[in-house]
Amino acid sequence: MSSEAPTAQHNELHTHRSANPFAWLTENTLQGMARRKALLGYLFLAPTMLGILIFTAGPVVFSFVLSLFRWNVFSPPEWVGAANYARMFADSRALTGFWNSFVFVFFAVALQVALGLLLAMILQARMPTWLRYTYRTSFLLPMLMSGAATAIVLGYMLHKEFGAVNYYLGRLGISPIPWLTEPGWAMVSIILSYLWLATGFTMILFIGGLTNISTEILDAADVDGAQGFTRFWHITLPLVSPTLLFAAVTGVIGGLQVFDLPYIMTRGGPGDSTRTAVMVMYESAFKNMEIGYGSTIAVVLFLIILAVTAGQFGLSKRWVFYQ
Amino acid sequence: MNTQQSQGLSRRDFLRWSSATAAVLTLAACAPSAPAPQAGTGAGSSGAPAAETLKLRMQVDPEQEKPVVDMYRAINPNVEFEFVSVTGIDHEEVAAKILTMVASGQALDLGYAATEATQLYAGQKLAAPIDEWVKRDAAELQEYFADVHPSLIQAMMWEGSLYQLPIDFNAANIYYNTAVLQEAGVEAPGSEWTKDDFYNIAKAATKKNASGATETYGYAWTNRLWGGWMPWIFVNGSNLLVEEEAPGGEWLWSEFYADDPAAQGRGGGWRWTAPKANDAANVEALEFLVQLYQEGITPAIELGGGDTLQGFFTTGKLAMTPAGGFWAGGLNNAGMPNGSFDVQLMPKWKNQRHQFGTAGQWIFADGKNKDAAWEYMKFRISKDAMLANGMFNPVTLTTPTRRSMLTAERFAETGPANWQVFYATLDDHPDTAPIPAPPVSNPMTAIFVGYTSRAMNGELTPQAALDGMQKELEDLYARTPDMYAKPA
Repeated sequence: MSSEAPTAQHNELHTHRSANPFAWLTENTLQGMARRKALLGYLFLAPTMLGILIFTAGPVVFSFVLSLFRWNVFSPPEWVGAANYARMFADSRALTGFWNSFVFVFFAVALQVALGLLLAMILQARMPTWLRYTYRTSFLLPMLMSGAATAIVLGYMLHKEFGAVNYYLGRLGISPIPWLTEPGWAMVSIILSYLWLATGFTMILFIGGLTNISTEILDAADVDGAQGFTRFWHITLPLVSPTLLFAAVTGVIGGLQVFDLPYIMTRGGPGDSTRTAVMVMYESAFKNMEIGYGSTIAVVLFLIILAVTAGQFGLSKRWVFYQ
Repeated sequence: MNTQQSQGLSRRDFLRWSSATAAVLTLAACAPSAPAPQAGTGAGSSGAPAAETLKLRMQVDPEQEKPVVDMYRAINPNVEFEFVSVTGIDHEEVAAKILTMVASGQALDLGYAATEATQLYAGQKLAAPIDEWVKRDAAELQEYFADVHPSLIQAMMWEGSLYQLPIDFNAANIYYNTAVLQEAGVEAPGSEWTKDDFYNIAKAATKKNASGATETYGYAWTNRLWGGWMPWIFVNGSNLLVEEEAPGGEWLWSEFYADDPAAQGRGGGWRWTAPKANDAANVEALEFLVQLYQEGITPAIELGGGDTLQGFFTTGKLAMTPAGGFWAGGLNNAGMPNGSFDVQLMPKWKNQRHQFGTAGQWIFADGKNKDAAWEYMKFRISKDAMLANGMFNPVTLTTPTRRSMLTAERFAETGPANWQVFYATLDDHPDTAPIPAPPVSNPMTAIFVGYTSRAMNGELTPQAALDGMQKELEDLYARTPDMYAKPA
């Protein structure tokens, strides 16, 4: 008899559930409450998950599929398998684009992080509050500018013949510099322009990181006689290393996708000297309407960013310290 | 008993169905939109229907087009317009945006394209041929064709069919700053001048400071397909691509140009069937341009549409540059008074064959209101409409294709004094032809501009640059073997 009661109760519940398909959710038990709580969580997550699925994951998968086809949008796609990949690895313009992206990232991100940290530390020094905020705002303002507008204005300022930069250099007796018309200088100009735009944000990140360092630790370092570079190297830098990691990862991801500055300032030239991987991708897909080939470049770039970011996180275990 | 099976909807099921629904939505988002039903006028109707209001979506400069649209709406109040302004640094960028719009299902009714994109749109079957409309309305169009040089019409044909009615054109002539030439003590060039004359004038006009840096340049040009160094390729008797005339087009020539000697022997448009970038004449032409740069006669080449060159020219830092009729209005707007500049034909080298580009509206093949679009296109090339068009009124911002609109009165205030050169380029040199712009003109232009840049900055010799250009163009042509129909 003792075993019959739960069976009857179970059958009753089963009958109830059969009548109401949402009974598992509405039943007034601890399990039911947990389910409702979980469902509420999923509902809150749903818009974001749906957005990621439709606008991020979907296009990534779609791009990979497209990379296996030859397609100009106006005609039916033609299956080519890995031919687009073989073409890309033999395409000197595409390879130059990737190389330029790496060169840009190497110098731009290194300088962006170093300058950002330096500016943050300078602004942490003792100075009137109004002056500190003035500097902070000034350094951050470029970030509010549109990249395209910045590129146009800087393009004029760096013009060899008419540019304001060469005008003032000329007043100092310096010959006009071919900022945008000589391959070596063109990349330097793009990097400097990027730094003008992006360093302010990195500085703000580091100000946050520096502010979070416990004063007790710094006081202890003072007591132990750690000053200047020693204190920076052994105390400050390890303690802002999480911020450093974040700045480096986001910098590399953003840097590998640089497009607007070289596209508007040099259009990838002179020659292909400032043509980045994203520019080659854009030109292939949207100017030449070789959507499959453009997707191939996108997929390879995606994999490179993925690998580099994973590598950064992997290596970070050796040098990032969390308080 | 398995209670799991008896549940109406488990959490796992919920997540599974959510994922499936999201995947379906993703696919739905990626799928092309359903073709829009044809609406509005039926084929063969002679105009916009009177009963129902329809809207034409049109790629135009709204300010320039408004006077024409106002005139049109005064007699066709049932037609509304939506202006879609598509801008870009150069023609290939505008074309890229149009292609992207079409790819995303945003077809317009009327586009506007220059030679650079005519075959691009026609070759992709995005543009509708206008042959049948032209034949139907031949009587109305006689006056237009009689006023327009046949070479401009031929440039708007592809594989025997006409796709556009050109409204403006620009051949690359040489503009010169009269004050700079006077200061250099050289006379203004005449129409029979040669490449050597050009070199001597450019060299004389170049002014350097004590440190050897150039302060005034003798010549400058923009690195682009039209008007870059292409004019030098043409006057040196060559082309970037092997050119031939497509068959067909007799219907047009016999109907509208039967008595015009300049139309004799013309075919159904141009075909550029293979690259010949490293032809000896092209190498020679590029070597000449590199020589000018190395001697400090020209500055580092510029990209884009030529705004910077205009700055050079108007401030007296530049003596000569290749440009078309569009420069006259631009220089005037920039403050250069009549008489401070003038224009001449390209100098003669092996010949004096010029290159030109021309432009006009085209009808989207997938447009909803093609008949109404044709009616507007036809109205737009009427003389009254062209006279009202902001492209030519109040300032001549580009060269009208109608010979009758190029008058002394038109250029009396702005200059140039030698305005007759614009149409003389076509009339006196009937072999003058459009810039090479096959259906693959976008990637072709990128290759052309890239290798030109590498030669000009000394990264490659002209020969090496053109060998590289040839190789890439051959690869491009190999990837698009069916660009043109097989010759008949």
